[in-house]
Amino acid sequence: MIAVGVLGLVLGVLIATLALDISLPSEWAAYLSLAALAGLDTAFGGWRASLEGRFHTDVFISGFIVNALLAALLAYLGDRIGVDLFLAAVVTLGGRMFLNLSLIRRYYLNQLALRRQRG
Amino acid sequence: MSENRLYQKVVFFAIWLVVGMLLGLAFKEQTRIRTAELPSARLPELARAYVQEKQANAALEEQIRQLRQRINELETAFASGAKQAEVLSKSLEEAKLIAGLLDVEGPGIELVLRDSTRKPTGESLEQLLPELYTIHDYDLLRVVNELRQAGAEAISINGQRIVATTGIRCTGPVVYINDVKMASPFVIHAIGDPKTLIGALEMPGGALSDIKSVDPKMVELRALDKVRIPAYSGPTQFRYARPVPPQEVQP
Repeated sequence: MIAVGVLGLVLGVLIATLALDISLPSEWAAYLSLAALAGLDTAFGGWRASLEGRFHTDVFISGFIVNALLAALLAYLGDRIGVDLFLAAVVTLGGRMFLNLSLIRRYYLNQLALRRQRG
Repeated sequence: MSENRLYQKVVFFAIWLVVGMLLGLAFKEQTRIRTAELPSARLPELARAYVQEKQANAALEEQIRQLRQRINELETAFASGAKQAEVLSKSLEEAKLIAGLLDVEGPGIELVLRDSTRKPTGESLEQLLPELYTIHDYDLLRVVNELRQAGAEAISINGQRIVATTGIRCTGPVVYINDVKMASPFVIHAIGDPKTLIGALEMPGGALSDIKSVDPKMVELRALDKVRIPAYSGPTQFRYARPVPPQEVQP
């Protein structure tokens, strides 16, 4: 599962940087970055869920789309009304990524400990 | 919910792929913005261009000086050739003196105007009206006008002779005088009766009092026994105006 994820990530970055030749208006750059952040958060969430055996594709896909859109929308709204709302998205998503990553780390450490006990 | 393992893997892969693409795009976009926008990255390049431009400027000025010298030589050669031309030469000298085409020296004043070094603090006037704390074209214009009114016979700002066609104009952070860029501090020299000139400048409500009321350190004024003011070094050709013979002048 993880190997699949890493492969996808590497391939995606390569496609975007090398093959795709899209030039967005620079005002969109911030929204794009935020959408990428939201996507990253969902991907980590999916990783964690898969480790816990609670992975559902529909939750995963909808979470990805909705989170990315909401983050970008929040940033846009913040821009319009002069409040740095994107900070809310950055803090929430960033915090959750750390949480998910720590749970993933713990899972693998547990696995390691179990293997040692058996070995 | 029994989803098959392969399907999950495909979805997982697809999402990571999209995330990767988003990240890649965002990365590319940020890099593009960082390189496209002017500051820091291009500063050395601009500095080099500036130095080059400055050198080219100096070379051209030297050329102007040489050409003017050549004109002088030709004029003197012409004058010495014909005896009757001596009178003409004298009146030419006079005209050049009035036009500011000769280096001159005599008693006068030196006035230095510089931007205030005070830092804006809190709710002070500096923050409300920061433009008060820098020297502007209108400050220079008032001073020049005042000096002329007080009988100054020659005026220069940072070595640029003020002549009849001189323009003094702010463009962004610099002031153009005779199409030469300059910035604070402005060293103004004037030849005339020092007492009269200083009196005119320091008149209550006059040119300097407004600046002094903001920050006295912006103004430095002193009388000099001997001031040397260079000749006007810009172009002197008239492209449009043509002299009219006296009899054609309408009453």
